[in-house]
Amino acid sequence: MEQIKNDIVNYLKANSFMDNNSSLEDDDSLTQNGIIDSIGLLELMDYICEKYSIEIPEDMLTPENFDSLQGITNMITKLAK
Amino acid sequence: MQVAEELSMNIIEELNGNIENIALKLRGFIRDQVKGFKKKGVVIGVSGGIDSAVALALCVQELGKENVYGLILPEEESSPSSKILGTEICKSLGVSYEEVPISPILKSLNIYDQKEQLIKRNFPEYDPKIHKTSLVLPDFLNQGLLNVPYIRLIKDGETVARCRLRANDYLELIGLQNVKQRSRMIVQYMHAEKLNYAVCGTTNKTELALGQFVKYGDGGADLEPLADCYKIQVYSLGKLLNVNEEIIKRPPSADTWSNYTTDEEFYWRMPIQILDQLLYAQEHQLPLQIIEKNTGMSREKIEKTQRHINRIRDATEYVRAVPPICYINR
Repeated sequence: MEQIKNDIVNYLKANSFMDNNSSLEDDDSLTQNGIIDSIGLLELMDYICEKYSIEIPEDMLTPENFDSLQGITNMITKLAK
Repeated sequence: MQVAEELSMNIIEELNGNIENIALKLRGFIRDQVKGFKKKGVVIGVSGGIDSAVALALCVQELGKENVYGLILPEEESSPSSKILGTEICKSLGVSYEEVPISPILKSLNIYDQKEQLIKRNFPEYDPKIHKTSLVLPDFLNQGLLNVPYIRLIKDGETVARCRLRANDYLELIGLQNVKQRSRMIVQYMHAEKLNYAVCGTTNKTELALGQFVKYGDGGADLEPLADCYKIQVYSLGKLLNVNEEIIKRPPSADTWSNYTTDEEFYWRMPIQILDQLLYAQEHQLPLQIIEKNTGMSREKIEKTQRHINRIRDATEYVRAVPPICYINR
C-alpha cells in the first residue's frame, strides 16, 4: 500500500501542478488543492491502468476513488487483487 | 428579500418572468453595440437551434431584416435537420441567407481522416459507412461519476461499443472537433467584413458558465446578446418571439458528431431545468432550503452537484479568459 502511495505521489510531482517541495496528506483533495484538473485526471487514470495493468470499471470512476491519495490507493489495491 | 417571501420563491418562475423587458433590453444592447462598432448590421451563424434562432429574431426586430445576414454552415457530420430548420427560420423572418458548407475546409486540414484514424485506434471494427459515433460523459445526477469521456459506436440506432478515451486521444479529438466551430467563425467574419457588419454570437449564460463554447470558434464573436440569459430564459424568449415550435422542441446539441449528441449527454450531465436552477441559486446565493424545495433534490445531492459545477467553472476559466496583457507602464 505504501509503495502505491509513493508511486502516485511521484507521478503527481512529475506530471501535475503539485509543487515538488510540498507534501500530500492521505485525504487531501487533489482537485480542490489544484493538483489535477479534468485532463490531469484522465492522464492519472491512464497511468494507473498502465502501471498496475488494471482496467477501471465505469462504476468505480467516482470522486471518492480519485480525489485523494487514500481513495486512489484503496481503489488500486482492490482492483489489483 | 423577506425570509418568508424567499422560501416561497419559485426559481423557474423567476427565470421565466419579465421576458418582454428582457427582450427589449437585448434589442437595445444589439442596437447600441452595432452602432458603437460603427457597423451596418450583423451576420449570424444559424444552426437550427434555439440560441441562434432567438438571436436572429432579436436582431431582425431591432435592426430590420435588410440588415441581418444568416449563414447556414453545415458539414458532413451535421444532422440534416440543422440545415432545414436554419433555412426555415431565415425564410420566415425574411432574412437574406447563404449556405456555406464547411466540409471542404475540414477536408483540407484532414480533420475527417484524422478523426477516423483516432476512432479506429479505439474501435478497429469502426466503419464510417455503417457506424455513427458520439462523445458522451456519464450522467452526473444519478450516478455521480467523474467527468470521464466515452466514445460510442452506433449501428442502426443502437450503441454497439463504448470505450473510455485515453487522455491523449481525448485532447487530439477535441482539437479536431473544435476546428468545426472555428471554421464556421472564419466564414462568418469573411462575410461580415465584406458587408461591414458585426458578427453576432449566440452563447447563452449556461454555456458561458460551463465554458460550453469553443474559444475563438463560436465564442469569438463581436457581441453576445444572450450571454446573460440562462438557457431556460432563451426558451422563454423563443416562445415570446414565436420561434418555430420544432426548433423549441429540438434537444440542444453542438451537432458535431455523426450521431446527434445532445448537450445533456456531453455538457450538462443533468436536465437543463435542474442545471439552470442550480446556477441561478449560486448566482443569487439562495439558501439550501429554497434549492431543495425547487429542485426536489436532497441537501447532500445539491451540495455535491454544486461542487461539480464549481469544478467545471474552474476547469473552464481558460476558455472564458481574454488574452492577459502585460502592461509595461503600470
